[in-house]
Amino acid sequence: MGLEQFKNRNVGTQNYTMVDAGHSPQGAMCQFKQVVKRTFKGELFVGLWVTMRSMIKALFANDMHTVKYPLEKLPISPRYRAIHDMLRLLESGHYRCIGCGLCEKICISNCIAMDTRYDENQRKEVSEYTINFGRCIFCGYCAEVCPELAIVHGPRYENASQQRAGFSLFEDMLTPIDKLNLQQEYDGFGAVSPNADENIKQTPLAY
Amino acid sequence: MGVHNSINRGKEITLTIDGKKCKSTFGKTILEVARENDIYIPTMCYLSKVKPIASCRMCVVNVEGVEGTILSCQEKATDGAVITTNNSELYTERQNIMKLYNVNHPLECGVCDQSGECDLQNKTMEFDVAEQPFTTKEPHRPIQNWGHVSYDAGLCIMCEKCVRVSTEITGDEALQLHFGGYSSTILNVKQEKNYASLGEAAAVCPVGALVDTHFKYRANAWELEKIPSSCPHCSVGCQMNYEVRHDKIYRMSNEAEFTSLCGAGRYGYDYANHNVSKDTKAFEDAVDAVKNAQSILFAPHISNEEALILQKIKEQTGAKLICGEARGYQKFMQAYASVTGKKLFGGTLKGISESKAVIVFGTRINDDAPVVKYHINMASKWHRARVAYMHPLEDAEMKNIVTQFIKYEPQSEEGVAALLVEMLLRNVDVSQNVKAFLDDLDIGNLSAESNVGEEELEALRKSMLKKEDFSLVIGADLYAHPRAEQIAKILALVEKYAGFNVVCVPPAGNAMGVSLICELDDKATGKTVGYNVEADVVLSALGNGDLDMPALNQQEGTITTVDKRVVPMHVAQPYGGYVLNDIANALGLYAEYTIDYTKTLPVEKGFKAVEFDALPDYFDSVGNEHRGYLLDVCHTEVEEMFEEVDEIDAFDGAVVYICNPKDQFSAFTNLCEPLKEEPFLLGSSQFATATKLSDADKVTFEIDGVTFKRVFKIDTSMKGTIALNPTYDMGLSAPLVSSYRFSKVKMMQDKKRGS
Repeated sequence: MGLEQFKNRNVGTQNYTMVDAGHSPQGAMCQFKQVVKRTFKGELFVGLWVTMRSMIKALFANDMHTVKYPLEKLPISPRYRAIHDMLRLLESGHYRCIGCGLCEKICISNCIAMDTRYDENQRKEVSEYTINFGRCIFCGYCAEVCPELAIVHGPRYENASQQRAGFSLFEDMLTPIDKLNLQQEYDGFGAVSPNADENIKQTPLAY
Repeated sequence: MGVHNSINRGKEITLTIDGKKCKSTFGKTILEVARENDIYIPTMCYLSKVKPIASCRMCVVNVEGVEGTILSCQEKATDGAVITTNNSELYTERQNIMKLYNVNHPLECGVCDQSGECDLQNKTMEFDVAEQPFTTKEPHRPIQNWGHVSYDAGLCIMCEKCVRVSTEITGDEALQLHFGGYSSTILNVKQEKNYASLGEAAAVCPVGALVDTHFKYRANAWELEKIPSSCPHCSVGCQMNYEVRHDKIYRMSNEAEFTSLCGAGRYGYDYANHNVSKDTKAFEDAVDAVKNAQSILFAPHISNEEALILQKIKEQTGAKLICGEARGYQKFMQAYASVTGKKLFGGTLKGISESKAVIVFGTRINDDAPVVKYHINMASKWHRARVAYMHPLEDAEMKNIVTQFIKYEPQSEEGVAALLVEMLLRNVDVSQNVKAFLDDLDIGNLSAESNVGEEELEALRKSMLKKEDFSLVIGADLYAHPRAEQIAKILALVEKYAGFNVVCVPPAGNAMGVSLICELDDKATGKTVGYNVEADVVLSALGNGDLDMPALNQQEGTITTVDKRVVPMHVAQPYGGYVLNDIANALGLYAEYTIDYTKTLPVEKGFKAVEFDALPDYFDSVGNEHRGYLLDVCHTEVEEMFEEVDEIDAFDGAVVYICNPKDQFSAFTNLCEPLKEEPFLLGSSQFATATKLSDADKVTFEIDGVTFKRVFKIDTSMKGTIALNPTYDMGLSAPLVSSYRFSKVKMMQDKKRGS
């Protein structure tokens, strides 16, 4: 097959087929008639009734189709990359971070800064750890490279603030020690969202 | 690296390695020839600067016609050999070695300090060892803190590099092997001493077993920016890298494969003048002061360029330049040159390490210049060199390498020099003048006055029979001696007629550069300005003067080393204030940067007209040094004029000797946290008896107008009635102490409370 037809870019000479789009009303009277006819149709009240029914259900039967954000929030997919969380070891409660510095190294927007030192228990202790959320692009490399599953992306996606650059300290991101039992394990890349079952619908077979 | 080539017979050989024709000289090992020709042979335990260790067997190669494999690190290359460095068999063998190195090796690369520059990590990857196929029962091996370094036996792969370095290079001999199969470890047999020189062992450790304690777990290798520079603390000017992150120096490293650093070099980096901003008022006052100064005093811890700026200021304003230590050295070398005809001494450090006998004279070398001592130690360990240590004071740290200690009385150096030269030139043809001088010597009298027995020198002479390659190391006692010039002339004969490798170790910092560049004066008069020295107006890099100056790790420049090499220093720490060049510019000189002066350093003194940015700074694959450039040899007129040896007025009784401990050189090293040590007046119990002092007594005395308040401490390793008095804690006053290092002082004992 030749390419001639594709190379012909002279659209002006091609044949167009006109679609029958009906007729526009002619004259002011005809236009007025069309407006009245369309306005006072029975379907208007059908639509109003649907709205009315939903309103009554929402107000009195507690059956609502929308989420009352910010009072309610949808569960978020584990794949979603929001503000980082620092996890703790479940048994000892010690933070998981070993201070290897890989997240700092891999960070492509250079927003992670950390300092480490030798602590009394001969461990490598993280003495400073900050993430500059003015720079972070939430690429997820830090979580991906972390050998200890210490840094993960949490579900906190509301990052509006009064300043362009917001920082998070290690302590802010760390699971509070009293909420250790609520700590969510990261399911890994490719995990489905927690409400995936509810969202499952039958595949429509006929349209 | 010439270390292993001492039997280099110079015969040209040709061999084939992996099909490549390689030309070399006989005496080199297969590995050395391969590296010369950029052929890669993997090694784990090989360290260029020591003798082959041969503990890893990674460097095995096949030689055609020889059954089995051969260790390329210790086998000499022979003419016509055909060598294969890699095939599937050798690969498997090396892979198996790596599997065994990985037995029980903790998988803690994530926190290990060596991660990123770890030989084990690299080779494990290279030989594709993806798992640990063998394990064994792990004995309990806790981490040991040895002071400056910590040792984690669990990570140790027993390559023995550290042991060899501590024996063959630094000579502290603190590290030993403890054999015991899998539970073999490295032992520190001198744990009570806390040697900073063990930093050298940590530097060569291929894994994270030996690490600097203060650096442990503070940063990863890949986060640190390496800034190549040269160590400004003593005159050796060793190669080193500042490892910097967030404008902070985390540690020092060096080309540990080929060179060494002493403790002060490795741990003395944190002396920068921090948080300085431009103080216009102080600057204007300082410019006025320099303009009106009749004398400019300065410490020899400055770069060549700064020395040149000071010289130019002198030419402009006519001020006197005073730098006591450098002045002594300058006069000594001028007198020395009047005999040899060359402006500088002929010896090198490498020459010392290749000698069969070394005479050390007029210096407590282990404290004055540890790296020079390392080279003496190398000669001792590699060539079983005789080491004669001539000094009024025995040094316990040198005992393991010194074969003969020759003690003389303080201030009798001229007589000792004459005796030594007479002994060394006994059967040598010399000029008429020299012969007359030597014949006139009253040996018996000199020997009696200086307390050096004729039989001692005879024993030294005998021990040197049937040997060649000798070195003479001359030190700072002699430069400040009242008869320094005569001593210089006498000792110059050793280089000229006896063919010795003579090294005159400069007394401090960049004293050699200063002595070459500046026209120095003897005595300060009138209004004074001090650069890092106490004076009417003080420019100080220590942060306590009238105008702040950058420390040597905050500025670019070159320094001149004992190897007669001009080496570059680079900026490791930020600095926001004024520099000496700004003052010079305000006085009418013009240079945009201090380093614009690098190419104008005096060519007639041996410097080369090279731009600072064109100075190389690296070691090639076989360890040849390409740092800066070597000073050209400059000739001067020869005149062998000798005076008669002066009446010896030897000191007796209690004497104080100016000497800093081996990890301290100046007020700058004193600022460094890891090196912190309490200054004491150290003496033997004999000294205590002679001065009626007891341990922990407080004394006050004065040397060169500087008042020392010291706590006396008895050192049981010392003998005799000479005490050591450090100056490193004296700040701006330290450079004022520049007269003869031995002095009889009047000690005022502070009244004890309650007695």
